[in-house]
Amino acid sequence: MKSLRKLCLHAVLLLSMSVISLSSWAQSDPTGESPVTRTYALTNATVITKPGTELKETTVIIKDGLIQSVGKNASIPANAQVIDASELYVYAAFIDGMSNTGAKRPENPQRPQNLFTPDPPNFYAGITPENSVVEQLDVESSSIASLREAGFAISNTVPYGRMLPGSSALILLNDADHADDIIMKKDAALFAQWVGAPGAYPGNILGMMAKWRNLYRNAVQDKKHSELYAQNPAGMTRPENDRVSQAFFPVIAQQKPVMFNVDGVLDVRRAMRLRDDLGFPLIVAGVEQSWELADELKATNTPIFLSLDLPDEPKASDDEDKSEEMAAMEERRMEFYKIHVAQAAKLQEAGVNFGFAVGSVRSNSIWKNVQTYIDNGLSTDAALAALTTNPASILGISQVVGTVETGKLANVMVTTAPLFTKDAKVKMMFVDGDKYEYEVKERKKAANGGDNSSATTGDPVTGSWTYALITPQGDQGGKMVISKEGSNYSGYLTSDDGSPDTAMNNISFRDSELAFDFSIDAGGQSVQIVVVGTVTGKTYDATATVSFGGQDISMDLTATKDEQ
Amino acid sequence: MTMKTKNILLSLLLVLCTSAFAQEAPKGDVLFKGGTVLTITNGALENTDVLVRDGKISRIGKGLRAPNGVETVDITGKFLMPGIIDAHSHIAGSAINEGTSQVTAEVSMEDVVDPYDVSIYRALAGGVTSIHLMHGSANVIGGQNETMKLRWGQTDPDMLRFEGAPRTIKFALGENPTRGARARGIQPQSRMGIEMMLRNSFSEAQEYEKRWKAYNASKDPKKVAPEYDLRMQTLVDILNGEVLVHCHSYRADEIYMLLKVFSDFNIPRLTFQHANEAYKVAPELAAFGATASVFADWWAYKLEVYYSTAYNAAILHENGVLTSINSDSGELIRHLFHEAAKTQKYGNLSDDEALAMITLNPAKQLGIDNRVGSIEVGKDADIAIFDNHPLSIYAVPQMTFVDGVKYFDINNDKADQRIYIDPESSIEEVTLFEKMDYNHRCMEGAAIFFGQNLINHQH
Repeated sequence: MKSLRKLCLHAVLLLSMSVISLSSWAQSDPTGESPVTRTYALTNATVITKPGTELKETTVIIKDGLIQSVGKNASIPANAQVIDASELYVYAAFIDGMSNTGAKRPENPQRPQNLFTPDPPNFYAGITPENSVVEQLDVESSSIASLREAGFAISNTVPYGRMLPGSSALILLNDADHADDIIMKKDAALFAQWVGAPGAYPGNILGMMAKWRNLYRNAVQDKKHSELYAQNPAGMTRPENDRVSQAFFPVIAQQKPVMFNVDGVLDVRRAMRLRDDLGFPLIVAGVEQSWELADELKATNTPIFLSLDLPDEPKASDDEDKSEEMAAMEERRMEFYKIHVAQAAKLQEAGVNFGFAVGSVRSNSIWKNVQTYIDNGLSTDAALAALTTNPASILGISQVVGTVETGKLANVMVTTAPLFTKDAKVKMMFVDGDKYEYEVKERKKAANGGDNSSATTGDPVTGSWTYALITPQGDQGGKMVISKEGSNYSGYLTSDDGSPDTAMNNISFRDSELAFDFSIDAGGQSVQIVVVGTVTGKTYDATATVSFGGQDISMDLTATKDEQ
Repeated sequence: MTMKTKNILLSLLLVLCTSAFAQEAPKGDVLFKGGTVLTITNGALENTDVLVRDGKISRIGKGLRAPNGVETVDITGKFLMPGIIDAHSHIAGSAINEGTSQVTAEVSMEDVVDPYDVSIYRALAGGVTSIHLMHGSANVIGGQNETMKLRWGQTDPDMLRFEGAPRTIKFALGENPTRGARARGIQPQSRMGIEMMLRNSFSEAQEYEKRWKAYNASKDPKKVAPEYDLRMQTLVDILNGEVLVHCHSYRADEIYMLLKVFSDFNIPRLTFQHANEAYKVAPELAAFGATASVFADWWAYKLEVYYSTAYNAAILHENGVLTSINSDSGELIRHLFHEAAKTQKYGNLSDDEALAMITLNPAKQLGIDNRVGSIEVGKDADIAIFDNHPLSIYAVPQMTFVDGVKYFDINNDKADQRIYIDPESSIEEVTLFEKMDYNHRCMEGAAIFFGQNLINHQH
């Protein structure tokens, strides 16, 4: 018996040793992918150390994940890989204020049986501030590499969920084996948004505002109670272990900000109203309508991450017989497009130190959209600040990132031409001292990782689509996500306005015709909407029909397949 | 420096200051010269001037002179009346119902004011200066309402608040809350359940208040605060008379039921909204001191609203029940003066009585009659100008002022009044859904279609 146990122990030891050695072999690179050295010298470069400061013919030395020196007469370490950067431009890598980069969308919470809609469980109401995006991180996510290729080294990544999904984290956009390798700062902010629970309390903005006040005020009481109890518990009622309440404690102590994902101006104002009522530190992010708030943001010193999602430029109808009224309305629509794209300049003018939030913008649109802000009045220095120094300072990491200066983290972007000029392309990225190179001639193709286009799945409809439903009141958009098991399709529709996800039923695809239906809750009565249309390459043109009161109403639904 | 340039500099400075610290709503100065002034409280004064200083009515009389720098508006041959007040409206709200729970006293329309809704301008074009933005009728105890001044063009929602107006809250009886509850499989499923839910809620609130009173009175250093509950706290505020209740109702039996509930809980002030059968219990309403805000002649849109009469307002008034006429609609709100005139056809009310239905009476129901609702010195200069007597079918609103500032002028009425346009919106001549849903938002949120409403819901 004894010997048997001993044998077992040996086996375990052996096994664990082999695991250890296997992983250390992996470190020493059986694949040949690991770099020979992590010391680099970018020689004779044009270095933009920070917005407005440019050094010519300067050498940047990167070692042990840090910027070792920036200067003209740097002594190059013997083990450095020397990169002739005389034709190149060196910038601090960008910092994204808010996106789901690296996070995997969890399955939607199942509606509990016999759900008591006035008081649903927290997981269903989306009140899970105790959670963290760390649990959703997936190092394999392609979003990390694609955002890096757009010049970013850090993302403030936020969890998926409803009104209070959990804490965000600052992640380094590195290839890694484990999430812990890329987490720069956990608990960066408590993330919040105006997404109500489907068919349960709080269902919309009315309930969410009240719920916030209730949660927060109770948390203030609970915190006080816990602190008194910690001092002297005898004779005092024991505080409950309320994880929701406790998640607010660092916020109440002003040690952690609340980051509100708010796009419209009224939604921003609602977050600010809560801040004014309750007194928590606030960051507003993903803001798409900031122009009326510039002075107020400045006066209240509210950090803001402007959305990089811009409206499409409206096109006037080329109908020569169009009415004067139509032409006038087109003109006014254009007036508001101009206001949208000039808002970054407006913030700059008001002296607001804003950053940018990538949000759900595709990484290959980011530069284009920043350029649009520049074309409409934003200075290039202010644009660079919004991508580097400002987010670093808003997120409390300006000591370690945001500029190309000695001692900073080696988060560096190398471009082929000055930023914000036509020929500027990312040639090289350093993230936490790790180097990534990009083939500049062939755009879009990454050096490592390669191009795994959706075509590899072999099915033209599976994957994620961005759809728009054209209703008379304006477009409704979101994602249409389709997957296939065997010969059966399944899928769901998300909604940009925060409405709950909707299951797609009876999905069929034959001879390039894709059809499905979905149901919506109309006051307890289920209304079915049937969508039928044609898939051509990566686009889907369809008609959505709802039968209502003996009448058919048709709307256009178009979708474009997302880059995988 | 000449006096003139000094003045210009000063006014420039003032403009700069107000735009930099845009906290106070703008106030105007104006002299209305030579019109018929419909005071509501003091009859019609012919060929009379009204002077407005700093947003308030400062003088009413003949032969008034405009002080230096005050603009004169000639209203010879025209009619000046207090701005119309709509005691039941759902325009200018981003959301209307939090219908997921049947008691949501904690929610408030002040959080969802939408200053970009062009319906605000349309209401101004109908002589309306204030609205009572109400929560919907999907739940028994709905949310708190917001009393607003229609300062169109201001985009900070706080700038449209009626500063100092008392808090009010929406209740609802009958088919709407039971329909919503049945759809969700929760209480109340019947009118009996509604009464129980009201009584239970108030009793719970009394217990809540006791817990807090005991806590506040306790001198125990180890005392622990009871759980905070914004819903219960709001109900406590109702019990203490700090929040005025406006209850959606139709049938006489449910109206009488609520009177009994409020008597039992000693809640003094109560306004019934819609109240199509209120005429059946008019003496009981008068005895309680309850008031009513009704439609002029609108009914039969669902079973509980069949037994109605166009004499409702007049009968209530003759029985001593303070009564107003409301719109509950982005369309009717544009001609509430027509609605008020119907009380003359159906009930022979005097001009003052009829006009009070859309001015002073709703002001009293909202607790703002010390500020608006009549043309009196010291009141806010919320004023509507008509070309004919507003109770005439030929009346067309000409100008509308809030705090002495002009927000509507028929002679300067540009075609596109919108103050925000989605750059990605499509431009179409006709919109199908608007035709269908007809601006009725009472049950909005009970039907959800990606945030849009598909069903033709009813009040």
